[in-house]
Amino acid sequence: MTKIKNIKSLIACQQCDALYDEPILKQGQSAKCTRCGCTLVERKVDSIERSFYWSLAGIMLSAPAISLPIMGVTLVGQFHHASLLDCILALIDNGFFMIATLVFLFTLAVPIVRLLGAFYITYSFKFKRLKPSLLHFFRAYHHLDNWVMLNVFMLGIVVSMYKLLDDTELSVNMGLLAFILWLICSTMSSSALDQDYIWRELEKEFDN
Amino acid sequence: MIIKTAKESGLALCPKCHKLNDIKQISGNNARVECSRCRGMFYQRKPCSLQNTLAWNVAALIAFIPANIYPIMIVFSMGIGEPNTILSGISEFIDYGLYPIAVIIFTASIIVPLIKIIGLFLLVYRVHTGVRLRPDKHSKFYHALEFLGPWSMLDVFVVALLIAVVELGFVTSVSAGPAINYFTLTVIFTMIAANSFDPRLLWDKKQGCENAKE
Repeated sequence: MTKIKNIKSLIACQQCDALYDEPILKQGQSAKCTRCGCTLVERKVDSIERSFYWSLAGIMLSAPAISLPIMGVTLVGQFHHASLLDCILALIDNGFFMIATLVFLFTLAVPIVRLLGAFYITYSFKFKRLKPSLLHFFRAYHHLDNWVMLNVFMLGIVVSMYKLLDDTELSVNMGLLAFILWLICSTMSSSALDQDYIWRELEKEFDN
Repeated sequence: MIIKTAKESGLALCPKCHKLNDIKQISGNNARVECSRCRGMFYQRKPCSLQNTLAWNVAALIAFIPANIYPIMIVFSMGIGEPNTILSGISEFIDYGLYPIAVIIFTASIIVPLIKIIGLFLLVYRVHTGVRLRPDKHSKFYHALEFLGPWSMLDVFVVALLIAVVELGFVTSVSAGPAINYFTLTVIFTMIAANSFDPRLLWDKKQGCENAKE
């Protein structure tokens, strides 16, 4: 075992544990592991600014995306439409409480919490209001990484449209547009967020 | 080029903030470590990774059986209910000639869960025995599995949308069937199984085998 002089200048691959010297990157560059090909570190362009505005837009869009009807059907003169919230309420009416809870979490609660989280973090960075509690906050933010399923729900909308198309008259409402925009904002705000940068800055601020 | 791992050097990587921590002073194999940056507790390797993966995987496999037997949704038209299982829903699409949608649903709700379950069994077996272990290929395979996980929820969302939209009283209405519970459980269990697998074990095992040969 060789001696390691300075841990701070080393990084390890998250997927295969290979050890590297920390590369010096310019904005927009990323370093990949030579053994497993995973991204080691990435410096994103304008991370704080972009993520701030995307999440702000996402927060504003979340209300219409949830409450406006996504699509409606007409059959023998009767019309009915439904929004994302109606889906959850319909599941509760049917007695499927577990599914209702999970759909609520994956398509509504987690995306909103993540947008608010990204907004709060970038707001604190933008206006230099760093607090030690941000360490815990950002750590908690990462727990929700895998559980946003808006893109899957979008595919679900497309599939159910096909399903309804052949025997009913289908109408598309404003909710669909709002939902698509919301999906874009939520994806962009989390992908624009530069985790390595945020952690490094937080460490610099609160190193004891 | 010889690649050193963090574990060999007595370092541990925090899974959340990706900070390397020196754990030489801490005694005990795979003890809990407090990260010096984010103050969270973590382990050098996920503890009991293979056992947890295997257990969640078996649970997913068990839940997958009733998910395919029971109807996932019941279509009422003129008061008469027609139960639909996942497979009969797909065959309906094929009857209508909507092949792309049939392929999407078949992939998302049958192939992906099965591939995930079988693939994770295979990964666990390979890591445990070290037979024909190819870490580079297997870790790519694992990432594909991890990425595909949430897409199996597609069928659940489709049913949720249909029961909300198609609510025309006596004429047509759709209600969910019991299979949706089991199917959701399958998806959640495979996601947790994939999360509890630690891909670094693949590389550890490979390195262990090579050292044993020399």
